[in-house]
Amino acid sequence: MRFELKVALRFLREGKGQTLFILLGIAIGVAVQVFLGTLITGLQRDLINTTVGSSPHLIFSGSDASSLMPESFSSSDASDSSDSPGSPRHSGTATVTTAGNFRREDDTLKNWADLMALLDEDASLTAVSPVAQGNGFVLRSGQRWPVIVRGVEPERANAIYQLQAALQAGTMALEGNGLLMGSALAREARLTTGDQVTLELPGGGRQSFSVTGIFDLGSQSLNETWLFLDLGRAQRLLGLGDDISRIEVQMTDIFAADTLGAFYQQQLSGITVDNWKDQNADLLSGLQAQSSSSVTIQVFVLLAVTLGIASVLAVSVVQKSRQIGILKAMGTPSGSASRIFLFQGAFLGFGGALLGSGLGFVITQFFLWGTAQATGRPLFPLEFDPGYAAAIVVIATLASVISALLPARKSARLNPIEVIRG
Amino acid sequence: MSEWLMEAKGITKVYGTVVKTRALKGIDLGFRSGEFASIIGYSGSGKTTLLNILGALDKPTEGSLWFQGEEVSRMGEKRLAAFRNRNIGFVFQFHHLLPEFTALENVLIPTWIQAGNGTRRKADRAKELLELVGLKEQINNKSTDLSGGQQQRVAIARALINEPALILADEPTGNLDSETTEQVYSLMRDINDRLGTAFLVVTHNDHIAAKSDRIITMKDGLVIQDETTSGRPSEEVWQTVAPGYCRHCYKDSDEVNNQLL
Repeated sequence: MRFELKVALRFLREGKGQTLFILLGIAIGVAVQVFLGTLITGLQRDLINTTVGSSPHLIFSGSDASSLMPESFSSSDASDSSDSPGSPRHSGTATVTTAGNFRREDDTLKNWADLMALLDEDASLTAVSPVAQGNGFVLRSGQRWPVIVRGVEPERANAIYQLQAALQAGTMALEGNGLLMGSALAREARLTTGDQVTLELPGGGRQSFSVTGIFDLGSQSLNETWLFLDLGRAQRLLGLGDDISRIEVQMTDIFAADTLGAFYQQQLSGITVDNWKDQNADLLSGLQAQSSSSVTIQVFVLLAVTLGIASVLAVSVVQKSRQIGILKAMGTPSGSASRIFLFQGAFLGFGGALLGSGLGFVITQFFLWGTAQATGRPLFPLEFDPGYAAAIVVIATLASVISALLPARKSARLNPIEVIRG
Repeated sequence: MSEWLMEAKGITKVYGTVVKTRALKGIDLGFRSGEFASIIGYSGSGKTTLLNILGALDKPTEGSLWFQGEEVSRMGEKRLAAFRNRNIGFVFQFHHLLPEFTALENVLIPTWIQAGNGTRRKADRAKELLELVGLKEQINNKSTDLSGGQQQRVAIARALINEPALILADEPTGNLDSETTEQVYSLMRDINDRLGTAFLVVTHNDHIAAKSDRIITMKDGLVIQDETTSGRPSEEVWQTVAPGYCRHCYKDSDEVNNQLL
């Protein structure tokens, strides 16, 4: 072991009380940092998961599709959908149709198979689901409930909405005339699986379906209004022909939604790409503010810890000036004398931070346990991230070494003849 | 190579920039290998300043210091530190052991400074030295658990560990009772005889001074007497040196005697 290390360790060991106090100080500071970081990260992850965990991150829809589709997507004309009831189409302009009380811009996607193939190849996407969407009514014993009809491919929709897990009753089978209904609507209309319902569409057409499953998507409005149908069935019902309304997409790195969306927007003219970040700008700016305040607190905690170490070491240099003087008289160069204090700073920082990480972990577990007392489930899941704790340990150690710079300089400048006379 | 182990040429030391205090006013001295010399003089006569300069702890304002033909006074901070570590042993009045370490570790510290690390050979040597100074049993005692005399003996062992050619001792017995003083002095003298290490001892102690091979008397920053004593009985030596150094001591003791009579 190097001589400076040996002396540094011995100084720390012999100044037990002082060493313990400063270690405890660092540990508490780091524990606060670790806990706060874990808490904020967990809280935000939970919030985001609630917000977009089971909803699309990108939505591809048409924007005046007929003229603006790129080469690869515009191989055929847009006339397929012109037989859509009540939706006269003028080439080259966005058209608005009136369906019941809803004004609907014509944003249907044509020739979407190519786009689907393209998106399916993108490894950063975890789910790609085509949707044919329109409005309608559920009729039951003389009453009408407005609904949003969503035609999907069950497997693909499941990847986004976790339908399978959301099913309260029944199955996800949509073949034939099956449909999935939200739990709130089912309750209001007194429907259970196996019941027959009549669906009325804006054009006036009616069709009979049987309820194969009832879902709870965790949102009252979705549970009241959403119906899932087979995609082909919905296309025919809504008069979309081979077109669909949109493609919904989920991705691994949800925070890249805006850049990826912009990328596709640029690549595919004639297509509008919406991303969840734009649609949840308020939430995101809230989270941003939360993150900044968390960072601010952590910086000040770190600063307090650093100042603590600096002052303890500054006092220590004075306390040990006789020892430093004698070491120098015996031939310790100034650089060596300063390293003794840098090592002490590093030891204090590293040791305290390790201790603090452990303490932070304990506090995290305690928090989970404490919030689980009332409900049996923690308020929200917290994940102790060893990488984050390790980063804090590294930062705290570096900060401690930096805080030892001034005492180390004092030690380097100490003149031995001033202390050896006693 | 010159005849001297260490040679000081025209050394002056001035303290302060506005109000200048001349602590040394031109010192020319040479020391031979294996010599046992004392420096005596009143407080403020410049003894310690001279010792600090000879030990390369301080730089002379003018003049030069040579050690085995090398000019020490021109070395930079790093080389000076290495020079002190290799060639000079220090023994101070207040022992200056590191209280955080044991007797053995204190003796080993100069070897750590030199090599960055200890070796078994050095540890064995340190044990031998502690045995030599009569502390075989106290090897692993914390230095704070040792008596004053024991601490000073550890300090002497520490000064010897890197086998320096010269040991500088600044009032090594100034803090000890007369019996312990005698022990420490005998030890230094013994080491001087057996290992041939040169000693330069700043002292107020008549006995130590009188038993040296050479007594250098300082006054007001100058060497006023430089007496080689070898072979002569110490009482006679003291009679020659005392008038320059301690005239009033005798006057005082006469007064004391008169009062007693």
